[in-house]
Amino acid sequence: MDAPVRLTVNGEAVERLVDVRRLLADFLREELGLTGTHVGCEHGVCGACTVLVDGWSARACLLLAVQCEGAAVTTIEGLTPAEGLSPLQEAFRTAHGLQCGFCTPGMIVVAHELLQHTTAPTVDKIREALAANLCMCTGYVNIVRAVARAAGARREGGAA
Amino acid sequence: MPGREPGGWVGRPLPLREGARLVAGRGRFLDDLGVARLLHVAMVRSPHAHARLVSIDATAAAALPGVAAVLTGAEAAATSRPIRPLIPTAAPIDDHCLAVDRVRFAGEPVAAVAAVDRATAEDAVEAIRVAYEPLPAALDAEAAARGEGPLLYPALGTNVVWHDTLSYGDVDTAFAGADGVLEERFEIQRYASTPLETFGCIAEYDAGTDSYAFTTNDQRPGLTLAILAESLGVPQARLRLVCPDIGGGFGNKRRPAYLLICALLARRAGRPVKFLEDRRENLSALMHAANGVMRVALAYRADGALLGLSVRDVTDEGKNLVSPAQHNLIKLGNIANGYRIPAIRYEAWSVLTNKCPSGANRGIGKPFMCFAIERAMARLAHRLAVDPAELRLRNYVRADEMPYATPTGSRYDSGDYPATLRAALERFDYARWRREQARARAEGRLLGIGIATSVEPAGTNLASYEIITGRRAASGSAEAAMVRVEPDGQVRAALGDPPSGQGYETVVAQIVADELAVHPGQVSVARGFDSATTPWLYLSGNYSNKFSVTDTGAVVGAARRVRDKLLRLAAFRLEIDPADLELDDGAVRVRGAPGRRLTFRELARTAYADVLGLPPGEEPGLEARHAHQNPLARPMDATRRVPSQLVFANAAHCCLVEVDPATGGVRLVKYVVVHDCGRELNPLIVEGMVHGSTAHGIGAALLEEFRYDESGQLLTSTFMDYLKPTALDVPDIEVGRLEHPSPFTPLGAKGVGEGGAIPGPAAVANAVEDALAPYGAVVRALPITPETVWRWLRGR
Repeated sequence: MDAPVRLTVNGEAVERLVDVRRLLADFLREELGLTGTHVGCEHGVCGACTVLVDGWSARACLLLAVQCEGAAVTTIEGLTPAEGLSPLQEAFRTAHGLQCGFCTPGMIVVAHELLQHTTAPTVDKIREALAANLCMCTGYVNIVRAVARAAGARREGGAA
Repeated sequence: MPGREPGGWVGRPLPLREGARLVAGRGRFLDDLGVARLLHVAMVRSPHAHARLVSIDATAAAALPGVAAVLTGAEAAATSRPIRPLIPTAAPIDDHCLAVDRVRFAGEPVAAVAAVDRATAEDAVEAIRVAYEPLPAALDAEAAARGEGPLLYPALGTNVVWHDTLSYGDVDTAFAGADGVLEERFEIQRYASTPLETFGCIAEYDAGTDSYAFTTNDQRPGLTLAILAESLGVPQARLRLVCPDIGGGFGNKRRPAYLLICALLARRAGRPVKFLEDRRENLSALMHAANGVMRVALAYRADGALLGLSVRDVTDEGKNLVSPAQHNLIKLGNIANGYRIPAIRYEAWSVLTNKCPSGANRGIGKPFMCFAIERAMARLAHRLAVDPAELRLRNYVRADEMPYATPTGSRYDSGDYPATLRAALERFDYARWRREQARARAEGRLLGIGIATSVEPAGTNLASYEIITGRRAASGSAEAAMVRVEPDGQVRAALGDPPSGQGYETVVAQIVADELAVHPGQVSVARGFDSATTPWLYLSGNYSNKFSVTDTGAVVGAARRVRDKLLRLAAFRLEIDPADLELDDGAVRVRGAPGRRLTFRELARTAYADVLGLPPGEEPGLEARHAHQNPLARPMDATRRVPSQLVFANAAHCCLVEVDPATGGVRLVKYVVVHDCGRELNPLIVEGMVHGSTAHGIGAALLEEFRYDESGQLLTSTFMDYLKPTALDVPDIEVGRLEHPSPFTPLGAKGVGEGGAIPGPAAVANAVEDALAPYGAVVRALPITPETVWRWLRGR
């Protein structure tokens, strides 16, 4: 059964008829081609599919597309500048905060949310936020360093 | 070994060039790829651990709108050949890609559907009626080793695939002359590294040429291509296999049967099909590290010197007909760990049960081997009232004994194991934490210190299978690569090993940059793998820590061939002896006369376009392929000594835990790793692997377990009950390093990928036991759950 849905994705208005059982993750990936949102477990634990819904992190595998009527959804593509990388992305790259890269978009979305709401997160706060997501490659050490580095740079740059 | 060219890019901590696309979500993983008219596959899987397949009725499913093809086990068996085993059973068994007549673990595929989308395919799966007649399940590997319990394959007459005793040195005399013998029984659970991207493929069939194309995150394309060609009954030349970006592997990502199922469905439907596991399929049916039981007897002198080791090892393979006993062989190659043990006996059972197939998982076999030996060392230190670090220092193979031939046929090539442990103790501040521990204990706080050390081999020598099969099929360890200076003078490289997070695009560029004296930015490295264009061997793949010991040799060899040709072309053009030339900054120049030079671009113009300008007899083009095999691989000798693996790195882990007496929870307070993987090609990548592999060790020690109930149902088939470590469970791992280059690899590098997954479980277990010493707790099994600890604390 199809139903209409209207939402904003990365700042662009989207209006579609979707199967009511269609997950937000599949809607983003398959209908909008936004494949940066990865699907790692489909039961809300791994966090690879994390996106922002109205500014707050959410599991795109636990939401139906039709539930997002009227919402503003931001994916990793929406957090990536037209040219180059965001300071947070650059910190992940230079701190070796990734290996296979499959968890990385979800990690960056979660870290972005943390830095939006917390100017100077402690390492414990960073770990607590990142504990929402699983990474099988890095042991998290360099992900934590990357987020701390980005937070430090943001304070120095006065962006906070 | 020949020296390296100036440039010094190897050894620098360059960030991953892959990072730029991956942090932006622009990787191209399997599920990101589309093909026109693509169908999606879902599988019917057995709900029973063991049952007779009475009937399958797929008529209703096939008639559903959107369903394009259905395949049952009987149809698969009629249209394809069985999957060829790597280690065949004594009596041949036909192992088809879908179950036929009988199912042998809960989750085994019995039928598959291709439909317009995965949801429709899953609807069709629900419409397939399968009648089962449940059979008693074989779940206890020790019972099976005794010949008890139901048989998986009546034609085999046993569930024991392999049972043998191997002896090296005079074991009986060693035990008879010992001052004491420590005997322990250890168990390890089933667990897996569970890459975050699950396994799958896209299969396409072209009826016009009777050829197949696979896009897959399979880690071992060389072997998979051979198996698929045999099962499909087509020449290998009609198969193409492409690997895109791979989201983690750790040994888990292989199942030729799934590729075969998809090929048969694609042929039947006349359309390309895609299958990608969901997480439950991944956890319940791809592969688990084998669980098992090991009985260890350690003969020692009163001063703690080890005299002999006897191990009886029962490995629970589940329904693994492809590579049973592989865990055993790997354990045998690492049985002495880093110690001088002159006499060793190993009695092994490889046993089939009604569980998910066992398979390669980060460190395969070695985590359990290391756990057993390092736990035994901890018990022996306790018995002798010797500091556990001191006991190890008394028994290590010393640096002046390198290269050291182990009793079972391995060769420890280089390293200073005592220095590695001493560096770890110093970095950890061992003496201080022993004092803190005593103080905390007086206050009723439970702190524990765990030490475990390991050797870490790299590269698999398939000749070791001869121990089991009695004949040699494949052997050695090798990889192939290509390097090419393009017509515009820029450089391109490709490697037969598809990376799954190891940063090969970055590190291969560093290696080639040094060999050709260019900036790494001038070296493009092919993403992934394509059997139509990448050089590859049967042995090609991303497994067994082999990058350092075979892949580097392939890249260096190909680059040096290109370099030699550049020198020959320049010598001809400049009318000078090649020995008077050198490479510098993308050009060949005359030594001592920097003005006399020809750029790669100028030389490439000759090589590709102005070919009449080539020296007489020189082939046009500036491209070379090279395959490298590691020199330490040897066939089995008459005394059944054979290196199952090759070059050896080593590491020392030292960790501090605090146990919460109220909850039984274990918190890692401090974790120090000092390791020696020879020359570090890219220290940033190396350190990341140490972190990640250590986290896997921590997960295996405290959290992860595939637990089956008494009927063979997997109780932990989601990430809500199969627990992975999070950022709150893994501490800030401190890494120190020594660098003893291997004399047996072209760049002196050794393996590092399995790393902390090998000693990690033992280190954490030793720390927990140390914390609970006042309660007399002895860790004999993993994972150490809060419940286990809580019971120890209360004497229950």
